[in-house]
Amino acid sequence: MRMVNFRAPYNTGRLVILLAVVLLVGFLLLPAQLQGLFQRAGSPVGWVVSWPLRAVAGVSDGIADLWAGYVALRTVEAENRELRKELEYLKGQNSQLREAAAATDRLAALLDFKQQIGVATIAAQVIGRDTGNWYRTIILNKGEADGLRPDMGVVTPAGVVGRIVKTTRATSVVLLVTDPNNAIAGLVQRTRDEGIVEGTSNGSARLKYIPMLSDARPGDRVVTSGLVGGFPKGVAIGTITAIHKEDGGLFLSAELVPEVDGEHVEEVLVIQSPAVPSEGERLGTPKVKSKS
Amino acid sequence: MNVLVWSALIVLMVPLQAVLLPYVKIAGVVPDIALVAACLAGVLGGELHGLLAGLTLGWVMSLFSAIDPLVAMGVKGAVGYAAGFAGRHVVYFSWPMLMLGIFFFSCSAGLATASSLTLNGQQDLWWTLRTVVLPQGVLDALVGGALYWVAWSRFNVERWMAEYRA
Repeated sequence: MRMVNFRAPYNTGRLVILLAVVLLVGFLLLPAQLQGLFQRAGSPVGWVVSWPLRAVAGVSDGIADLWAGYVALRTVEAENRELRKELEYLKGQNSQLREAAAATDRLAALLDFKQQIGVATIAAQVIGRDTGNWYRTIILNKGEADGLRPDMGVVTPAGVVGRIVKTTRATSVVLLVTDPNNAIAGLVQRTRDEGIVEGTSNGSARLKYIPMLSDARPGDRVVTSGLVGGFPKGVAIGTITAIHKEDGGLFLSAELVPEVDGEHVEEVLVIQSPAVPSEGERLGTPKVKSKS
Repeated sequence: MNVLVWSALIVLMVPLQAVLLPYVKIAGVVPDIALVAACLAGVLGGELHGLLAGLTLGWVMSLFSAIDPLVAMGVKGAVGYAAGFAGRHVVYFSWPMLMLGIFFFSCSAGLATASSLTLNGQQDLWWTLRTVVLPQGVLDALVGGALYWVAWSRFNVERWMAEYRA
C-alpha cells in the first residue's frame, strides 16, 4: 500500500506559523477591522458552499418525505394485505397531495401576509440551522445578491421569526427571537406598554422593562412597537403567560410564548424596509378651518 | 492531502453540520464536526495540518452561524495545533484514548468560546457547562472515536502515524 507523507515541508511550516502569529497579532490589535475583512472575504466562499448546502437540504427533504411515506405504507400493509397495492398507491398519492396542499396553504398565507403588511419583503426558504451550539439561528437560501442585509427583520404570517445577523452572497443567518442575545422593541397590544423582547435560555422569550404600574396580564398579546429595528409596527411576537416583579426592581417582566416556532419554520419573509410612518404621516395632514 | 481534497471535505462539512446533524440533536446539542475534524487532522497530520484545518474550518463554519469568526477560527485553530502536538508526543494511540483526548479538547474549546462570548445574565458558567460544553464534549468524543475506529479498522493508521513520527 502506498503511504502518504503528511509532513509539510520545513518552509511551509514556517510560513504557516508566521501566518498564525500575524493573525494572532492582528486579532489583538485590530479585531473589528479583521472581523470585517474575514466577513467580506467569506462572502464568495459562502456562495460556493451554499450550492452543496442547498443540494443536501433538497435531498434531506426528499428522504424525509420518502421515509414518512414508507412508514405509512407499512401500516397499511399490516391492516389489509389484499388491498395493499391499491392502498400503497392511494396512500402515497394522498401523502403527496397533502404535502402539496400544505405547501400551497403556507405559500398562500405568506402571499396574503406580504400584501397585508404593506412593506417591501422578500420570500426566502430555510435551508439549515446554526453550525454551532451557542446561538439559535436559521440559514436562509437568499443573501446579499437578493438584497438582504444584516439587521433586516424576518417574519411569517404568524409573527416575528428573528433578525438577520450575517449575510454571504447567497445565504443569510437569522438570529431567532428565542435567542437570549436577540432584542426586539415590543409593546403589549392591550395596554400599549412598551418594553424589550429577548430570548431566554430555555427557548422561550420574555418582555423586559414593562412599567411597574402596567395592567398587563397573562393572555395579552405582545407585538412589535416599530420604534427601532427592522420591523413595522404591530407584527405579533408572542402571548404573555406570566408576569414577574423582582424585589426592589423598577420594572415588571413578562414570560412569553412566541407565536412562531423558529425550529420548525420553512418559509419566511424578510422585511426590506419597515417603512415606519412618522407621527405626522400617521395622524394625517391637519385640516384648516374655513372662515365662514 | 492535497488542497483540492481538503477544500472538498470542508465544503461538504458545512451541509453535514447545518442540515443533517440537527436531525440527530441530543438534549438540544449537536456534535461539532469541524472541531472533531481539526482534532483528527492534528493527530494524524501534525501541528501544521491541525492548525490549518482548524483555522479554515472555524472561518467557513462561522459564515453560517452567529458566532464571531475570529473566536471560531482562534478556538478551532488552537485545538488543531494542540491535538497535533499531543499526537506527536503520545507513544501508543488507541480509540478510547483518542475519545478522551477529543472530550478534553472539546470541553476546553467550549469553555474558551463561552469566555469570549458576551453571555447575558441568564447564561452563567454552570448553564454553559450543563447545556453546551459537557454534552457537546461527549458527542464530539463519540463521533471522533467512531471515525477513528472506522479509519483504524479499514486503513493502516498505526503505520501511517509511525511514518509521520519518524
